[in-house]
Amino acid sequence: MSQYSIGNLADVNDPQSVYSGMAQRDYNNYIKDFRPFEEQLLALRNDTSLIDQTRKDTETQRQIAQGVSKRNLERYGGAGLSPAQQQQQSQTLQRESNLASVGAINNSRVMQREVNQNMLANLIDIGQGVNRNALGQMNTAAGLQSQRYNAYKNAKAQNSANMIGMGGQIGSALLAAFMI
Amino acid sequence: MSSKPKASEYQATEAEKIQAKVAKAEKDYFDQKYSPLLREMRDTSMKENYSGFAAGRGQADTMQALSKPSFAATKSVDSSADLASAASAQMVMARGQGLAAQRKRQVGVLATARGQQADATTGLASIAKLEASDRLQSAGRKQMMRESRQQAGFALGSTMLSQGLVNKGEGRGFFDGGLEDGEGLGRLSNYVTTGSYGS
Repeated sequence: MSQYSIGNLADVNDPQSVYSGMAQRDYNNYIKDFRPFEEQLLALRNDTSLIDQTRKDTETQRQIAQGVSKRNLERYGGAGLSPAQQQQQSQTLQRESNLASVGAINNSRVMQREVNQNMLANLIDIGQGVNRNALGQMNTAAGLQSQRYNAYKNAKAQNSANMIGMGGQIGSALLAAFMI
Repeated sequence: MSSKPKASEYQATEAEKIQAKVAKAEKDYFDQKYSPLLREMRDTSMKENYSGFAAGRGQADTMQALSKPSFAATKSVDSSADLASAASAQMVMARGQGLAAQRKRQVGVLATARGQQADATTGLASIAKLEASDRLQSAGRKQMMRESRQQAGFALGSTMLSQGLVNKGEGRGFFDGGLEDGEGLGRLSNYVTTGSYGS
């Protein structure tokens, strides 16, 4: 704790240079730590992981339901079902599983699209901030260039005016010496 | 005539020095303690399987509700098909919500990182402004000094030329003012003390 008391803090002799170093380091750290992450997120706007996973999940669920049915038939000694009825039960499972799979994949497409669109909207929002900030920086840089240009031109004009004034003084001296 | 400016009068005040010290210490503390947290959250948001967690919960709920041993269900022609259908639908819902939560967290991390990066570049712009202002003021000062030297040179040259020509007109040499030995020093002394050359 005591290392943070104000008496123990290091002096900052050149705040401008320290500030410059901090800002540059922060930018470099952003590039190192977050640029690859940003690229990954930008690529995820076309993600299909939910749809792909649903294809696997529906097959797994069909197998689980089949297993539950098989165990229940064993548990209840066939439950009085004839082989034809058991075959029909199995066919119903297959048919309805297929329908469930199609429905689930369709739903997952809708949901995937919603997630991706939401992600895209958020990324665009972040991008707008990046653009606004970059334009602001360029505006500053252009303004500073303009200031420097005008200051240089003003200095040149001031110098020319002085030279003309001095020329006038010398001319006056010469006139005074030769003509008056 | 005013004395030369003293550099000590242009030093930072004690309050400014303390402000800079505290700001530097706070920034170092932030870099040390808080920056790693955002990097940690970045890694977590990429690794943590929210969808799997949500799907597991959904699957457990479905099985608890529909997979209990039942004679009636066993005899039913479509109970196992209903189980598969319900479980698949539940799975899509759970995974979708998990994925949405993961994306929200990832975008949140990026927005924070971008916010920090924006602060960094705004900082650079401020520095550019400060440096530009310093350079302009420095250039202005140099120009002022050049002009002062030039004016002094012209004033000396002008006086020398006009007086030299007067001397020549009076039949003496260009640099010969017609003064007796030591008279020049006396006239200079009069000028310093009274403001005029005459005795």
